[in-house]
Parts: sequence; structure tokens; C-alpha cells
Amino acid sequence: MGRSFPAGARGPCSESGPVGMPGWAIANGIKGGFLERRGFLLALGVAAALPFAPRVTQEIWRRVSESPPPDGLTEPYFNIVSALADTILPPTDTPGASDAGVPAWISVVVADYYASSERTALLDGLDSIDALAKRTEGLPFPELTVTGRERVVAVLERPNAYERFVLRLERSQHKPFWGTAGLLARRARAYAQMKTLIVHGYFTSEIVQRTVLLTEQMPRRFEGDAEILTVGLDEAA
Amino acid sequence: MIRQSRAFDAIVVGSGISGGWAAKELCERGLNTLVLEAGGPIEAMDFVEHVPPYEMRFRGWGNRLELKRDQPIQRHCYACDEMSHKFFVNDHDNPYTTPEKTPFHWFRGRQVGGRSIIWNRQVYRWSDLDFEANARDGHGNDWPIRYSDIAPWYGHVERFIGVSGAKEGLSQLPDGDFLPPMEMTVVEEQARNKVLRAFDGKRVMTIGRTAVLTQNHNGRLACHYCGPCHRGCATHSYFNSIGSTLPAAAKTGKLTLRPHSVVAEVVFDPARRRARGVRVIDAQTFAETEFEARVVFLCASAIESTRILLNSRAVGSPDGLGNSTGLLGRYVMDHHFGSGASGFMPGFTNKRTIGERPNGIYIARFRNIEEPWRDFLRGYGIQGGSGRAGWTRGTSMPGYGTEFKRTLIEDLGGWAFSLIPYGETLPYRDNRVTLDSQVKDKWGIPAARIEVRWGENEREMEKDMMVTAGEILEASGCKDVRAYLSTNPPGHCVHEMGGARMGRTPEEGVLNEWNQVWDAPNVFVTDGACMASSACQNPSITYMALTARAAARAVQELKRREL
Repeated sequence: MGRSFPAGARGPCSESGPVGMPGWAIANGIKGGFLERRGFLLALGVAAALPFAPRVTQEIWRRVSESPPPDGLTEPYFNIVSALADTILPPTDTPGASDAGVPAWISVVVADYYASSERTALLDGLDSIDALAKRTEGLPFPELTVTGRERVVAVLERPNAYERFVLRLERSQHKPFWGTAGLLARRARAYAQMKTLIVHGYFTSEIVQRTVLLTEQMPRRFEGDAEILTVGLDEAA
Repeated sequence: MIRQSRAFDAIVVGSGISGGWAAKELCERGLNTLVLEAGGPIEAMDFVEHVPPYEMRFRGWGNRLELKRDQPIQRHCYACDEMSHKFFVNDHDNPYTTPEKTPFHWFRGRQVGGRSIIWNRQVYRWSDLDFEANARDGHGNDWPIRYSDIAPWYGHVERFIGVSGAKEGLSQLPDGDFLPPMEMTVVEEQARNKVLRAFDGKRVMTIGRTAVLTQNHNGRLACHYCGPCHRGCATHSYFNSIGSTLPAAAKTGKLTLRPHSVVAEVVFDPARRRARGVRVIDAQTFAETEFEARVVFLCASAIESTRILLNSRAVGSPDGLGNSTGLLGRYVMDHHFGSGASGFMPGFTNKRTIGERPNGIYIARFRNIEEPWRDFLRGYGIQGGSGRAGWTRGTSMPGYGTEFKRTLIEDLGGWAFSLIPYGETLPYRDNRVTLDSQVKDKWGIPAARIEVRWGENEREMEKDMMVTAGEILEASGCKDVRAYLSTNPPGHCVHEMGGARMGRTPEEGVLNEWNQVWDAPNVFVTDGACMASSACQNPSITYMALTARAAARAVQELKRREL
């Protein structure tokens, strides 16, 4: 049953399977190509008739944000995560990370995906990011201007040699280092984790899947040599 | 113990890939057939392939803490994800043991449909290169059959399940009755041509041969390319027993399907030297029932069928039915893999794919075909594929802010290409399954103790697998090629086989050339347990073909009153 095609993205600290949603489903260059009519109607009929998993909509993620899980992010951490998420993926002509409910989803991950020791390490790392903001910009990270946040993130984007070494080793061994060795890399690890969570949470959110990536659940064909019609993007917009 | 009053013509243990085929063939040939499945029923509404990521609590990463707690083994399987983990067993209810520092991953699916719901659907015929391998180099026993014995049955299976693929005319990878092939990507097309030229036509990259429909077939709809087949398929576009063989069996009116039926042993009648039936423990009530039939087909998976035989007592075989010569449980194999290479194909930035192709490319075996290779026996095939990373690269890509976001949305990133070879494992006598003397499963049945190690031949082959995967990518035009050497534990490939191998004589095998237990000829074992060697191809279609062939034989012998 060996897997026969490249794996997609993996979750942080996870050895289980990826979702790896494709990034190609943007609003350009989608050509035609359909099943014969009867088959298509049948496929649609079957799909519509089946009660798939219960729908969890954006509305539910919004409610999660209002009533965070017990072990989720407290308000100060939620604010740090929100500020970080919107600095990495800001609102533009497409939704920003907070618009897509990313901090609420990260709160769920922090509560239920991480073991308590991992949760503690991550929150500790967020504290060190906040401490960096206070030290270099004079204010807690969430209270900084957009420009101030960007200056802090620019520092976080450049881990030092020691941090890079530790993170590389941790990735290859699929586990974090504890003790002093791990402590010294906690800020860089927390940032790397947060970036993974923010990017994954954003692009798998309902609003981005539906309105930005325009993901087709049943593409009904495979084309291995499709053209990208760049003009299509502007027209679609 | 309740004795079932109604006697069936046939009992099939297991409802997955092999069990479904046994049920179909036996019912269509007129036998009243009872299919016993250890797990519960599955309905089409249980399939979860269309659940979008935002409807998953962990967006596809799975409930990691719950998986670690309940499925610490199963979670290592790539197909055991946030939605599909329900198609894998609970490891605490279904324990097995291994010696210290000898890990084995036994991935199991107990439900109607078995692992046919979660399999990877790659299907490749074997050739005489494979059936003659043991005889040629002296490892293992000579297969009692050759390609000509099974070829018509491969065709029989392919025409029913629907296999898409391209004919290549290779002697080591015989062509089949194919539906139209899926498309290669534009970079795979280039790679195929360049690799053919670079290696004098001896390394052939073809589109994967897969049991996924590229056109409507036998009442099933063509694939709609949604992607995650291992979560099920509402349109039954890939082959699984639920959507194909079991309905065909049910259509005859001769099928009785009994879920929640854990088979503990085959009940042997010493006077007739035949199996009388099987002893079943109800998975929910723990009540025991004995079901009787004229023939029994064990199709519970290689290790499970072996375990059932080991737990069955027969005159002259105190250590298991079919074990009179001490071979039962021995020569267990899996394909070894883990090494490979990946790289990036420059150019083609104006090209993309549309749809999620549930398939990759396949490079047919090229070692030890015409000339012997110096470092190891047998060979390997290579699977892989190409695609553009899209937004997923953003998790590790430097950058932030407006431009970072725009790039992830509008630019699909480079073309990545990866190759993963799958190697043949030699049959070793000491690679075996026994019954654990201490540990029992939830139903009181002794757990399997699995002791399987890779040998020197596999270790040497792994090195070559790494090197050739890298050189093929470089020959195809890839840059930044990274080759890696690694090995997964046995079992990880989910191609476990052997344990009750076929042989020309009772001294050479547990089963004869028709998959009948030498010591009890009305017991047929037609899943992976019957294999005498592993070849390097994905094995499921060979199980299916052998099952159909054995079922025809069983009915023939019943008619002649030889059973």
C-alpha cells in the first residue's frame, strides 16, 4: 500500500498524515473537460444525497473564538497570535489571517493538539517574542504599529546559527529538545511553529478555500499539462 | 457454544480485497456463501473523502493525542489521518507483540471491506521473472505455478475491477486489460523521454497502473479526482469490495454477510481429515458460534489468516492446522522502502495540473533482468510523482507580509519531483509469525508474535535504490536533487505476505498449487499468506487473481465430490 505520490505539508510535531491541500486552484486558467452528462449527473446526485460529516462553518469557528477551549489561548496570548498572524498574512484585497479565523483555530490546536509540555513550551516562546518586542520597540507586540510589528518579525525571520542548528536537529528527530539547549531556541521554535500554524490555518480556512483558492471538491478531470492563463486572474478579480 | 443449524456451502473469512473476490466467485458459481467479517458494517455515508479541511478540527493533521492513545501503531500509516483513522483498528483491542528492537508495523482494517477501503490501489502483474526467482537463486521454495497459470485470472480480475494503465510491452511487467491511462504531468512526460534516452530504453517510466476508473465501468462511475481515496469513495470509482465484489456476490442471492464475527479457529474433523467449519466469537456479545461449511476460504490478511491457522488444532499438527511440516508462520515478507530522492524540475512555470490525480508514475524494475547485478539479488520498482507545492511551501518559506501572501496565492512554486523505490525482500525462514504465549486480544485469542528483520540483501538493495533514484531524477533534468538512505520497519509498506506459502509438496509449502492446505484440502488460503516470494510489485492483484482461481478450483472439486 506504499504511497505513490509526494507527501504534502505535515503538521508541527505530527507524524500522522497530511491534508496537503493543493495550492493550484486559483482563479486562472481552468479549462473545460467534463464527464459525459449521465455520469456527471449521477456523480452530483450521489454527492448531494450523502450526509457527509457535519458541517462546521466559519460561523462555528467564530464562536470558537468567542468561547475558547479551556486549555486554549488566554486573551494576552490570543492577542499576540492575532497580531503575529496578521503581520505574516495581512488583510489586503484578500482576507487577512484574523478575517479567516486563524487565531481561533490555533487556540484549538494549542488546547487539544499539543501535549501540556509542548503547550507550555509554545506559550513560553510567545512570551519571548513579546519580550523581544518590548526590548526592541518598547511596547508589547500586540500594541505595536504595523511597522513596528514588521520590524520584530524581520528579526524572528532570521534565526541565529545556534537556533537554526537546534531547529534542524529537532525536525530530523521529530521531537523538541528540553533543558537549556531547547530553552535557548524557544523563541525561534515558537516562531517557526506559529508560522506553520498561521499559513496552514489560513489556507485551509473556509473563506480562503472558497473565495481565494476557489478549490473544487470534485474537479472531475485530471490535466497534467494545463496552461496558466495569467490574464485570467485579473479578469476573475 | 452454539452450533449454527444451517450449513453453508462455503465460508469466507474476511471481506476485504481477497474475501470479496472469494465471495463473488463462489456465489456466482452457485455456492451458498457465508462471509464472516470481524469488524462492523460500513455504509456509503461513512465515506469522508469530500469533507473539506475547514470542517476538520485539526484541518487534516488528525487528533494527534487521541491517535497516540488509541492507535499508537496504526497512526504511522500514511492513510490513517484525521478522517480515515476510523478505518483502522484500535491497537489496544488488537494487540500483537514483537521481540525487543525488532519493530513491525501491522496496519489493520477491521470493517466490512477491510483494507480495500484504505489501500493505495496500485496493481501490477507479476511475470515469470518473479515466479521463477526462488528456483533461480535458491532462496525460498520454487513456486508451484508460473505466469501462464495465473495470466488468465489477472485478466479476469482487471476486466471486473477496472485498471487504468499504459501498455509498455515489458517482459518483467506484463501488460494487462487496461482502461485508458491517466495523464502524466508535463514534467513527467519530459522525464520519461529523457530517462529512456539516458539509459538505453532500459528504465521505463510509465503512468501508474491503478484500480481507479478513468471511464465509467461495470456500473461504477469514473473518478472525479477529488484526491483522498483512502477516506472512501462515494462513487466507488476505485476498487474496493464494498462497491464491487460484495454487491456482485449479493446479486446472486447466495451471499450471507455477517459482521462483528471474529474467527478464532478453523474446526477440524479428524475422521474426514477436513475442516468442519469455523469457531466465531461475536465481537459485541462475545457469544461463541460454530459455523459449518463444505469449504473454508481464509482471506483475513496474511498475518491474520496465519494466526487463525496457528490457533487451530488438528491431528498430527498440534502447533496449528497445516503445520505438519513446521512451515506455518515462516517466510513472512514485506517490501522494504524508505530510501529515495527528490528534486526540482526547472521551467514549466506556465504549466499546472488540474484535479487531484490518485496515482503517480512507475518505473519498472531494471536490476537483474538480463544481466546479474553485482551487489544483490532480485530488484525493485520505483513509484513517484511530480507537482507544484502551492501554498504549502509557505510554512517553511522565508518572508511575511503582503508580498509573501501574494506570492503564496498567485505563484504555485516550482515543480517538485520525488521517487520512492520499493524493493523485493527475500524469503527468510526465521522471519515468522507465532502465537504469543501471554498476550491475548479483546476476544481472548492469542496475539500474533511477529519477528521479521531485513537481511543483508535488502540493506545492499536500499543503497542502490537511493543512488538510482537520484540518477534518474538528474537524467530527467531535475536540479537540487537530494537522495536519502533510510529504511522503514517491516510491515510499514502494508505489503506483508507469506506465513502459509504455496509449495509443490507438503514438505515445501503449507498450501498446494491451488491454495489448498495440504493437511486439510477443503481449506483455501488466498490472501497474502500464500505467497512464496514477494517480487517488488504491489501484490493485491495477485491475491485477487489467485483467489478467483482457487474459488473456481474449489467449486470444480466440490462438483467432483473431491472435497
